[in-house]
Amino acid sequence: MPRRYGIACATCFVAALITILYGAGLARSTGRMAQEAPATTRSVWDGVYTEEQAKRGEETYRKECASCHGDTLVGGGGAAALTGGTFLSNWNGLTVGDLFERIRKTMPQGGLGKLTKQQDADVLAYLLSFNKFPTGKTELQKRVEFLKEIRFEATKPEAK
Amino acid sequence: MFLHSTNGVARWFVLAGLLAAFPLVAAGQWKAKDTEWPIYAADLAGTRYRPLAQINAGNFNDLEIAWRIKTDNFGNRPEYKLEGTPLMVNGVVYATAGSRRALIALDAATGELLWIHGEHEGARGGAAPRQLSGRGLAYWSDGREERILYVTPGYQLICLDAKTGMRVQGFGNKGAVDLKLNDDQEILPDLTTGEIGIQSAPVVAKDTVIVGASFREGMTPKSMRNNKGYVRGFDVRTGKRLWIFHTIPKKGEFGYDTWLNGSAEYTGNTGVWTQVTVDEELGLVYLPVESPTNDFYGGHRPGNNLFGESLVCVDLKTGQRRWHYQLVHHPLWDMDISAAPILADINVDGKVVKAVAQPSKQGFLYVFDRVTGKPVWPMEEKQVETGTVPGEWYSRTQPIPSKPPAYSRNGVRESDLIDFTPELLERGKAIASKYKLGPVFTPPSESKLDGTLGTLTVGTASGGTNWPGGSYDPETHIVYAFACNACVEPIGLVRAPKEVSDMNYIAGTAGEEVKILRGPGENAGADSPMPPKKRAGSGYVALNVDGLPLLKPPYGTITAINLDKGEIVWQVAHGETPDVVRNYPALKGINIPRTGQETYNIGTLVTKTLVIAGDGQITTTAEHPRGAMLRAYDKKTGKEVGAVYMPAAQSGSPMTYMAHGKQYIVVAVSGGAYSGEYIAYSLPAAE
Repeated sequence: MPRRYGIACATCFVAALITILYGAGLARSTGRMAQEAPATTRSVWDGVYTEEQAKRGEETYRKECASCHGDTLVGGGGAAALTGGTFLSNWNGLTVGDLFERIRKTMPQGGLGKLTKQQDADVLAYLLSFNKFPTGKTELQKRVEFLKEIRFEATKPEAK
Repeated sequence: MFLHSTNGVARWFVLAGLLAAFPLVAAGQWKAKDTEWPIYAADLAGTRYRPLAQINAGNFNDLEIAWRIKTDNFGNRPEYKLEGTPLMVNGVVYATAGSRRALIALDAATGELLWIHGEHEGARGGAAPRQLSGRGLAYWSDGREERILYVTPGYQLICLDAKTGMRVQGFGNKGAVDLKLNDDQEILPDLTTGEIGIQSAPVVAKDTVIVGASFREGMTPKSMRNNKGYVRGFDVRTGKRLWIFHTIPKKGEFGYDTWLNGSAEYTGNTGVWTQVTVDEELGLVYLPVESPTNDFYGGHRPGNNLFGESLVCVDLKTGQRRWHYQLVHHPLWDMDISAAPILADINVDGKVVKAVAQPSKQGFLYVFDRVTGKPVWPMEEKQVETGTVPGEWYSRTQPIPSKPPAYSRNGVRESDLIDFTPELLERGKAIASKYKLGPVFTPPSESKLDGTLGTLTVGTASGGTNWPGGSYDPETHIVYAFACNACVEPIGLVRAPKEVSDMNYIAGTAGEEVKILRGPGENAGADSPMPPKKRAGSGYVALNVDGLPLLKPPYGTITAINLDKGEIVWQVAHGETPDVVRNYPALKGINIPRTGQETYNIGTLVTKTLVIAGDGQITTTAEHPRGAMLRAYDKKTGKEVGAVYMPAAQSGSPMTYMAHGKQYIVVAVSGGAYSGEYIAYSLPAAE
């Protein structure tokens, strides 16, 4: 028997209230925050992950992500592409930490919470590697506050 | 049981909901006003048109946000793919929202939440092939009672009281019809995990609710056997099944013989997953049917495969077929008929024609007499290339409309490749050289490391025009359709290992591990993964050049097509030039006109004077901060006359209505880091 939440249940009322408040105020501030250029000096073009990490990430990706997003990361149906124009436009101007948070909050869809922060950081390294961002000597950290220091830039800066 | 009446706060909410709704019209036949938006596509004709003029070319730039609602809490996690188009009737906006696919009712002027309803389906919802919030819902009224109908991810048809959001007890089983039952087939393997669902909105016409079916993506099925996507009509008062149409004919039914070797028995899919259109006056329903199992290989289903990729007209009362037209014989390109057919009363050579116009992934607008099913302009069966994939059965011809001309790119040739600079062209050619190229209906090919990796196509899986469909202006007889003009799809076929699929071939790339592609969330967590294979020797190549689209612009367009003449009136690139193009170092100083964007999920809205649609990608320009623009075009000329900022890309098609004398435009935005949100725009009260 399916449960319902209608006007009926108290928790839903709270959820509804939160949504209203969120819709009224928080959403705007989130929107603003997303537009601000993060005050960071590093970008994905500075070698922010290692080859070894990307390899670990690829193994996890193939087990946990590829069944929806595809071996070639092009997505399909409901699953977003993790490469190409729309992917780059979605993250260009944000940070690697924003992408990390999105993964933490929603993935894998069939087993939310299944992956550790380390595994998600590794998968992120694989996404960067697949999208041809250069490797470096240090691994991507699993702490979002550090990842938010790394700008996601779709276009390679001329000097580098 | 349904209302915790001890909860004073909840009672207040009910009261607020009732007060906010306008008094209903007098009992009797209910008729929608053209200041409302009572049906997913505005009306049963699929026009996405309202003759409203308060928002116009002169003031579009003044629009501001009237209200907005995030959908994060309508489910157990936020959703980043909000595709719904809300309805508005009697001052109340109804919408599907959030990862729960909850139903919400909002005050149309303020966005205040009036009620919310959700179904917790447990494992059945978790195993559903089409999850998340879906595209919308249906409204019905007899002038007294008001009902809301929608389909859950787990494939239940739910009927709610529009005033309270509670289930209507007299409909089906306490307000629900289990769509996995009474479907003239046993949904396998069981009711919980059996693959079938739908994400589009049901439609109600003359007290009949019409529901189709959808499945997981069809490129890499585990088996040639799958559940079938029949279409059914239900009584809106009782939930009783009134009729069924077998999209794959049963033995003895018309079309069964187009499935050779008895392949109609086991082949599945072939559903109607997009919006259905109805002519209530003629009593006819227009069903756009998708591809059979599997999308790109038909070796296990020799024959033309009716009613795969056909437009089928059935009787509204009985579901009996009146006529059909197969747009693609023996489908091999995933050219599902993905958009709502559009009903149009037009004048061709001095004669009035009741027509139906079908936008498509392949960029043809197919136009038929909707009474007889005869093409309005000659539709020649033209010889097409047959392929060489072992075991495949090929149709030697395909129907090609003589009018109107194709409105988007539907084949890839060398002349379509990126050519901003000679160096980029060379790099584009190097990528394309790994694929077979050709015009529309160039057949899929085997993926081989020592040959080509497959056929490079456009206007196939993504389209062209996909699920948002087109719009139609009944005053000027013009269809407006967005189309992706650069959504390339490599169609390579690989032999399927027996432990992966019982089909001879499924989609894949030579050298890559052969895998089943799932729908999102479809029991992915419970799967036992196959051991990862080494990528050594993989044939994969990225289909872009440093992130620049492989094909040349325009990447996405809106086209206006005059249906009286079968001619294109205007075409514009839709969407800001992507950042990757504008910021590409080698393109600095080169004047590149607006390119549009390579997205495929953009729907248009037509009003008295404007065509309105948002960008499908995020950009950051001197004119606006990081975000996307909702654009208005002069519908006569295609000239952009205004644009207003959205914090994220348009992910659901816009709609419009009047409330308290004000015109509103509501659009769903989401994607990337931005979770789903409905935003309502209107003009400021004071100058």
